[in-house]
Amino acid sequence: MIANTLTVILILAGLVFFAAGTAGLLRFPDVYSRLHALTKADNVGLGLVILGLMLQAGGPADILKLFLIWVLVLAAGTTAAHMVAQRTWTHGEFESDR
Amino acid sequence: MSDLLLVVFDLVLLVGLLGVAWRCLASTDLFRAVVLFITFGLLLALAWVRLEAPDIALAEAAIGAGITGALLLVTLERLRSIAVERRRGRPDEPPDPAGADALLHALHDPPPPRRTFVPALTFALVVGGLMVTALWHQPDAVGLEPVVDEHMGVSGVDHPITAVLLNFRAYDTFLELAIVLIALLGAWSLGRYDRLPARPAPGPILPGTLRLLVPVAIVTGVYILWAGSHAPGGAFQAGAILGAAGILLVLARPRDLPMAPSTPLRLGLAAGVGLFLAIGIIGLFIGPGLLGYPPEWAYPLIIVIEVAATLSIALTLVALFIAGRPAGDDH
Repeated sequence: MIANTLTVILILAGLVFFAAGTAGLLRFPDVYSRLHALTKADNVGLGLVILGLMLQAGGPADILKLFLIWVLVLAAGTTAAHMVAQRTWTHGEFESDR
Repeated sequence: MSDLLLVVFDLVLLVGLLGVAWRCLASTDLFRAVVLFITFGLLLALAWVRLEAPDIALAEAAIGAGITGALLLVTLERLRSIAVERRRGRPDEPPDPAGADALLHALHDPPPPRRTFVPALTFALVVGGLMVTALWHQPDAVGLEPVVDEHMGVSGVDHPITAVLLNFRAYDTFLELAIVLIALLGAWSLGRYDRLPARPAPGPILPGTLRLLVPVAIVTGVYILWAGSHAPGGAFQAGAILGAAGILLVLARPRDLPMAPSTPLRLGLAAGVGLFLAIGIIGLFIGPGLLGYPPEWAYPLIIVIEVAATLSIALTLVALFIAGRPAGDDH
């Protein structure tokens, strides 16, 4: 019961971060601030969701796998954000063909 | 309550799928269309999960969204650089109507409106009518599950999907492998690549991530291959993950990319199809028929085929990404 309540609270909190990150991505004016909103919010948001799911996991193996997913997304997200930011810094904002 | 939530989730997923598909098709900006295509693949993977088909979900996420997305992006990049190069070469001449410029323009500008309404409506009505008729007369069949379950004992593996893919319907899987190989032959016949120079990114972040992700991808790929005999997984998914690690290395290229040694590369590319066919033909001579295995040998044979197929798929995907046969061995 306590675990279930905690799970719901943690996942809802995670979703708030996701929503905030998405809002930032859509509303912020330039690439850097959008990246800031997206990565920070998504990492914490996913962390909270994963923490919530860990409370429902069947055993240590599942908990470890969930943790691994978070670490990998964290690494990939960081790198992607870094590269987008670097590209913007050297080449200017991305322009589509149209 | 939870049933209702699931229905709501499914409906949202369905609307999302249709919306993203429509935006992808209607987009006149190719880059946006590719990104939407990747999004569509990820949503589709979720839909497969909801249909309780985790094997297909894995394949869709890894191949449909991931690798195909990467291939489309690199194609777009090459089209763009070809167009820029041609424009730079002859700034005064009018654009060649058959050249890359014209192609890019044709792809970008919305096509002129044509009088296609009546044919389109007729087509939609005919196809829709056929689909409705086909679905209407669906027999109350339980599917092939009982048949597969009944024969699991002789399949050599514990996972029904793998049993179907590599034993009961090995023919289909063999042809799929052959198609992947033929696609690569097509790409190779169009051109070759020269030595790809290193393009080190400034800063420690990208090399660090490579050092972290590539080993993890290799372990995951081998695990997925191994898991295929008793759980969702198998050669295509494992090959896609290993191929993704290779594509990551090719893309990041902290050092010059060495030219692949010609003979081992070709052997590796053909290993999956070749071994599959060889084992299949042996089956023809010793009894169980083309692409059949004697039950007591089924497990080791399936594992051998899966390992070879994984290797071939991974190599083929990386080679498709580089696109072009290795230069220097055209004799």
